[in-house]
Amino acid sequence: MRTGHFKDSYASLVALSDSRTAWVWTGLMALALLALPLLVGAYSLTLAVTILVAIVGAIGLNLLTGTTGLISLGQSGFLAIGAYTNGILLTDHGWPIWASLPAAGLVAAAISLLVGIPSLRLKGLYLAITTLAFSFIVNYLILFFEGVTHGSNGIFLGDVTIFGFDLSADRPLYYFTLAITVLVALGALNLGRTRIGRAWLAIRDHDIAARAMGIDLVRYKLLAFFMSSFFIGIAGALMSLQIRFINIDIFGFLLSIEALAIIILGGLGSVAGAILGTVFLTLLPEAIRLALSLIVDPNASTYSKYIYEIRGITYGVVMVLFLRFKPDGLIGLWRDAKKFFVNWPLAY
Amino acid sequence: MRGMLKFALLALGTLSAGGTAAWAAEPGITDTEIRIGDVNIMTGPASFIGQAVSVGSKVAAAEINAAGGINGRKIVIHTEDDGYVPARSFQALKKLIEVDDIFALNGTSGTANVLAMMPLITKANLPTVVTTAPNELVYNPVRPSVFTIGASYEAAFFAQLKYIHEHNEPKTPVYGLIRQDDDFGVAVENGYSRAIKELGLKDGIRLKYKKGQTDFGAELLQMREAGVTVLANGAIIASAANVLSEARKLGLDLQVADVWSEIMPPSAKLLAPAGYSFFVGDYIASMTDPAAVSWLERTKQYMSDTDRQAVNRYTFITYAGLKVLAKAMAACGKELTRACTVENLKKTHGFETGGLTAPISFDNEKQLGGTEVKVYQVNLADVSFKTLTGYTQY
Repeated sequence: MRTGHFKDSYASLVALSDSRTAWVWTGLMALALLALPLLVGAYSLTLAVTILVAIVGAIGLNLLTGTTGLISLGQSGFLAIGAYTNGILLTDHGWPIWASLPAAGLVAAAISLLVGIPSLRLKGLYLAITTLAFSFIVNYLILFFEGVTHGSNGIFLGDVTIFGFDLSADRPLYYFTLAITVLVALGALNLGRTRIGRAWLAIRDHDIAARAMGIDLVRYKLLAFFMSSFFIGIAGALMSLQIRFINIDIFGFLLSIEALAIIILGGLGSVAGAILGTVFLTLLPEAIRLALSLIVDPNASTYSKYIYEIRGITYGVVMVLFLRFKPDGLIGLWRDAKKFFVNWPLAY
Repeated sequence: MRGMLKFALLALGTLSAGGTAAWAAEPGITDTEIRIGDVNIMTGPASFIGQAVSVGSKVAAAEINAAGGINGRKIVIHTEDDGYVPARSFQALKKLIEVDDIFALNGTSGTANVLAMMPLITKANLPTVVTTAPNELVYNPVRPSVFTIGASYEAAFFAQLKYIHEHNEPKTPVYGLIRQDDDFGVAVENGYSRAIKELGLKDGIRLKYKKGQTDFGAELLQMREAGVTVLANGAIIASAANVLSEARKLGLDLQVADVWSEIMPPSAKLLAPAGYSFFVGDYIASMTDPAAVSWLERTKQYMSDTDRQAVNRYTFITYAGLKVLAKAMAACGKELTRACTVENLKKTHGFETGGLTAPISFDNEKQLGGTEVKVYQVNLADVSFKTLTGYTQY
């Protein structure tokens, strides 16, 4: 019987999970995700793709903000770079998706190094404002270089195929996005258990102490920006594949705030938290819609007039209450539940 | 002989069953109702547009249903909020198509929003009437099932500047433009450029600003330096009011051409305190236009008090949009299909909207109708709008 978290080897300390039960559940979850398109309708599949794309972006942001402690409000800029790179390469240069997708990540990552340089001297809100300014600059540059970016006209993506599968159809897009999301999640989890991941954690907890211990702040902070933006760029490219139209209006400032809300609600510094936060925040409006339709008469005139405001307020109230009573996020809730069952009947 | 007869009957049966099955599979249609979708800005700062659009659809549907519906079927409107966020417009339309099973689309939010929905519209061959985003990007290239009502910002600005040039031009006319740095701003500048070129006007200065900017001190100082006396104000709502307020602070004596969004009572009230008797070019009747007054009287039975408060130009155009769509659907008879509706929309010619817009025709290569513009001028005393011209094609 398992009695807690006693580890007796270094390998068990860095293992993704030392629990067989966890692996069995992960396998079942993988099967469920693979079977999902056979079980749900097209709209649910669209929501699933939206969640998967947001998970990729949230994992990227989590590496920077949650793991390394560098607050960024520039995600919408990196998303835009990824989406535009993918769109331009696919539409104007005829690249295949297997080449344009990593290119989208690489371009976003390369540009992030420019934003990363101020991070060597700035922290907290100062860095947040710098990254926010960056996202505005990106929007401006997209409009300015209209010869390349199509300016305010935006870009329509034509039919995109991979291995003969048309990604404009719901199921192929779902499986493609799922595959990328799994790769990104595994990549982030593995980064977290390497020297790089531990260096990021040390920087987050106390950068001066980390430096005293021999961690090269310049290298690791820039690496955090690079990896984070690579993933966010990939998320932008996936977003462009889903909507099939790119325009700067899609990458508003609100996206950056929503991304921060996702990783805070999910639990900072945890890949699982980023996933839980994304699922929660994406499905919350749908859950509120369903709940309200069950408890209020949809034909009541007061309700129908204020329905959208009621939904919006409920969304905000749920978030506030959650953070008030579960400040460590959904991952905290998950850990509590896990602890309860692992230690049962001696749970405390 | 009996064998041949049996074969013929079987073939006929198969064909008719196939035909019925094909028709029965048509989405959004039941024996009693036709579901029409509406993706709209129901939350956020621009929600006054979505609420007005929603009232327009609701009134048109109520009026059609009260008259017996479309070949016996009632129209049911399904509205989804996109908060003016294009990614959410895409998701909202996906829900309308897949969950609510709509037959056609009448509300389409802003330009970027309708463009984000365009791949879905095209794929489903969804009969769509675009009433709130008459931008060239929507109708060029032409999508077979998309029909657009409205003039371009280009035409609206050209109309106003032409009117000012012909009737209200100051003694030393120098024209200046301020516009947003987006697709809308580009359309405004196109109208300005056309006026400068075709009317031989003196182009003093052209300025761009970042969407959401609130302080226009620097821009107006540059206008003053350039000696501008006629301002093409391509800012909208609060920004437009800030531009005029700054101009008043600097004591500029200006003739002002504004965007049609400023014809709505809340916007007009924001602009009026600056004291400029500004012009607006619009393809929709103003609230004080006789056509609008008559419409408000005729449809009051279908509106609650809160609906009436939400009415503005977007109500009229969405009402007209659903009416023209209804006519196309009605012409299909009992076996209504999307393909038939699209075909009938393509044939639309001179559809009368009671003066809410110019007669609508989609039988042109752009599938674009109601493009004629009226020029209005605000009466500062009661913030009403005086009609200066009839609907004219520019």
